[in-house]
Amino acid sequence: MAKHIRLKYKLSQRFEGRNPRKHALIVSIAAIVCLFTLVIVGAFVNVEGLDVNFMAKNNPPSFTHIFGTDWLGRDMLIRTLKGLNLSFWIGVLAATLSVIIAVSFSILSSVNKTLDAVVTWLIDLFMGIPHIITLILISFALGGGLKGVVIGVALTHWPMLTRLLRAEVMQIKSMEYIGVSQNMGKSWWWIGTHHILPHLLPQLIVGFILLFPHAILHEAAITFLGFGLSSEQPAIGIILSEAMRYLSSGMWWLAFFPGFSLLIMVFLFDVLGRNLRKLIDPLNGQKL
Amino acid sequence: MKIHFKNILIAFTIGLLSTSCAQDKKTHKSKSDELVLAIGGEPDNGFDPTTGWGQYGSPLFQSTLLKYDKDLKIDKDLATNYSLSDNGLEWEIEIRDSIKFSDGKPLTANDVIFTFRTAKESNSVVDLTNLKKIEKINNHKIKFYLKKRNSTFVYYLATLGIVPRHAYNSDYNENPIGSGPYQMVEWNKGQQLIVKRNPYYYGDKSYFKKLSFLFLSEDAAIAAAKSGDVDVVSVSSTFANNKVDGMKLVNIESVDNRGVVLPYVKNEGENIEGAPIGNDVTSDIAIRKAMNIAVDRKKLVEGVLNGYGTPAYTIADHLPWWNPDTHFKDGRLNEAKSILNEAGWIENKNGIREKNGLKAKFDLYYPSNDQTRQSLSIAFADMMQALGIEIKTKGKSWNVLDQALHANAIMFGLGSYTPLELYNAFSTNTQGQGLKNINYYANPTVDAYFKKALEASSQEEAMEYWKKAQWDGKTGFTYKGDAPIVWLVNIDHLYFVANKLNIGKQKIHPHGHGWPITDQIETWHWED
Repeated sequence: MAKHIRLKYKLSQRFEGRNPRKHALIVSIAAIVCLFTLVIVGAFVNVEGLDVNFMAKNNPPSFTHIFGTDWLGRDMLIRTLKGLNLSFWIGVLAATLSVIIAVSFSILSSVNKTLDAVVTWLIDLFMGIPHIITLILISFALGGGLKGVVIGVALTHWPMLTRLLRAEVMQIKSMEYIGVSQNMGKSWWWIGTHHILPHLLPQLIVGFILLFPHAILHEAAITFLGFGLSSEQPAIGIILSEAMRYLSSGMWWLAFFPGFSLLIMVFLFDVLGRNLRKLIDPLNGQKL
Repeated sequence: MKIHFKNILIAFTIGLLSTSCAQDKKTHKSKSDELVLAIGGEPDNGFDPTTGWGQYGSPLFQSTLLKYDKDLKIDKDLATNYSLSDNGLEWEIEIRDSIKFSDGKPLTANDVIFTFRTAKESNSVVDLTNLKKIEKINNHKIKFYLKKRNSTFVYYLATLGIVPRHAYNSDYNENPIGSGPYQMVEWNKGQQLIVKRNPYYYGDKSYFKKLSFLFLSEDAAIAAAKSGDVDVVSVSSTFANNKVDGMKLVNIESVDNRGVVLPYVKNEGENIEGAPIGNDVTSDIAIRKAMNIAVDRKKLVEGVLNGYGTPAYTIADHLPWWNPDTHFKDGRLNEAKSILNEAGWIENKNGIREKNGLKAKFDLYYPSNDQTRQSLSIAFADMMQALGIEIKTKGKSWNVLDQALHANAIMFGLGSYTPLELYNAFSTNTQGQGLKNINYYANPTVDAYFKKALEASSQEEAMEYWKKAQWDGKTGFTYKGDAPIVWLVNIDHLYFVANKLNIGKQKIHPHGHGWPITDQIETWHWED
């Protein structure tokens, strides 16, 4: 009996270990918990460490300052957390805007051939130019700052998702029930919201999550190049570009830890996106 | 983007150069009659003295009628004789004969007249509106007629490089010809400037036949210094603790000051360009005075400048026209607090002072590409927090600053060899003109002293009034008077200089970290 139970237990354990959906779920939840901790800690962290303290300037990493301190004696850990927090919210804003644009365009393209041609042309146009260049142009034209960065990131990151959604829409449109619906005299708006949009939702959520890493990295990149956020904002891009001036005097920790933290955050989003895709995308999810 | 790419390119080129000629360079270094300098400061407008080249430091390609000696007194250069008439309106100047420009053509009174006329018409930083006419007496004698007495006119004679009439055209600023110690060989914009010895120079022959000025970012410049490719590098205090083999750190005192300029008037609308004027908080003298004595300048020098600087209390510390009575003790936080309390600025529950519902807070702008000003701004704002004054720092480009600087505090820098700077910065007549008197300071007593100083018949008399304008016992434009600016530090100009290179005794440097060091470059030489 006991042997039997043990066997059953073992079986279920083996099964559990190999269940990709469960695995994906656990990883997703872990990633979400990590990200939320980052955001919440970043929002409520004690900002006293940001005060100028010449007694503690240029300190390498130690137990009191895990990430070290900068040339004004500000704690780099707190600066990094604040920076990640800002990056997160810029990512949320920019990714949301991108998704809204992508959905609108993909539904628009389903209306008729002309609009579809226009949307396809726009996609090709934006994808033909490297992201970072369009981003710099838009951000610069809008005068930089938070507004420039958010609008710039939003306006450059929609094409990939739009292309994906458009293909999905095309496929759904050729389904019989759409034809039936049309024959029954339903408007394109009604069909769009009732038949097409629900099918797009999984793609949308995964697309939204996977936009994050791009948005955050691009925000940091153009801020680093000086076209983005202004230098008094606690952004990672600012921290990194400031750190550049001190690298040659050997203060490696100014760039290393914030850069590494940014990478981790981006990695978490990527993991989350990929695992969510396994869970909710009907096409990919069942393949496993 | 452009700049970054450029720097990478230059660093790469230097890398190539250093690998190809590293060996003979290292061995010949101290005997070479060529010098490579990376001191930055590439002028946007080129090398035309009539539009401002040479106003800070020496013009290198051109020479001036008069010059400053080591104690910043006026001395003769091109001129052999000069005199001012008793009414103070006529300057008579005799110049050396048989002087030639670097192209071999002679320099005569015609060229001097041409230079001053061109400068007057250029409407640039060279402000010669007071010059009525110039008369040629003979080929080597010129007479200047002024509209009003002006004791500062002599400083134009000492800073304006003479340009050749026969060779002056629209691209003169890129191909300067002059009678200075060096002549242009090549200028690759954004990369380097190469000059060679002017064979016709009338002064002592320079030791170095050829000078190359590299325009590098600080990082690239130090990398070049470490690989032994550069003989002189300008560095900021951040990099001063780097060790570079074969080079010594030279620390030159300056009047290159930094301070927080505070809007002097209440918010009173906009100027014709739509830039707002005035600030209700900083127009209160209690706020300005309290900040002036609360700030700990020594701490800023130690903390931000790593000790490479001096505390600044006025616009012109230790210059001949500086008034020593303006000195005061700072770092007195408690006294500052009581000044604010007496004036009715009371701390609210958030620790910010308020007076009649007005919060003691304002924005402090600094140019975002200037790391020293950024650090000073952040540190200053932090110090003022203890006082109950909330300052938000904002790093912006100069374009944005131009719009913001009449209504917000600005981290500003001045420092010049002429007392005219005092007039420019504090006279009612210059309110809101470009970067002069940006905070709309106005004091009739100060204006009266300025008038007397400008009309003084001798430099000694002028000096006295320049000093009185700063503080006459009752009022003035320094802390004890109206305190329109919180001066913070004078920045030492730091250079890494090759060990055996003798750059002579340097004058106290003006604003501008770079060209001023070349002032006496014709006397530089290798030591054995």
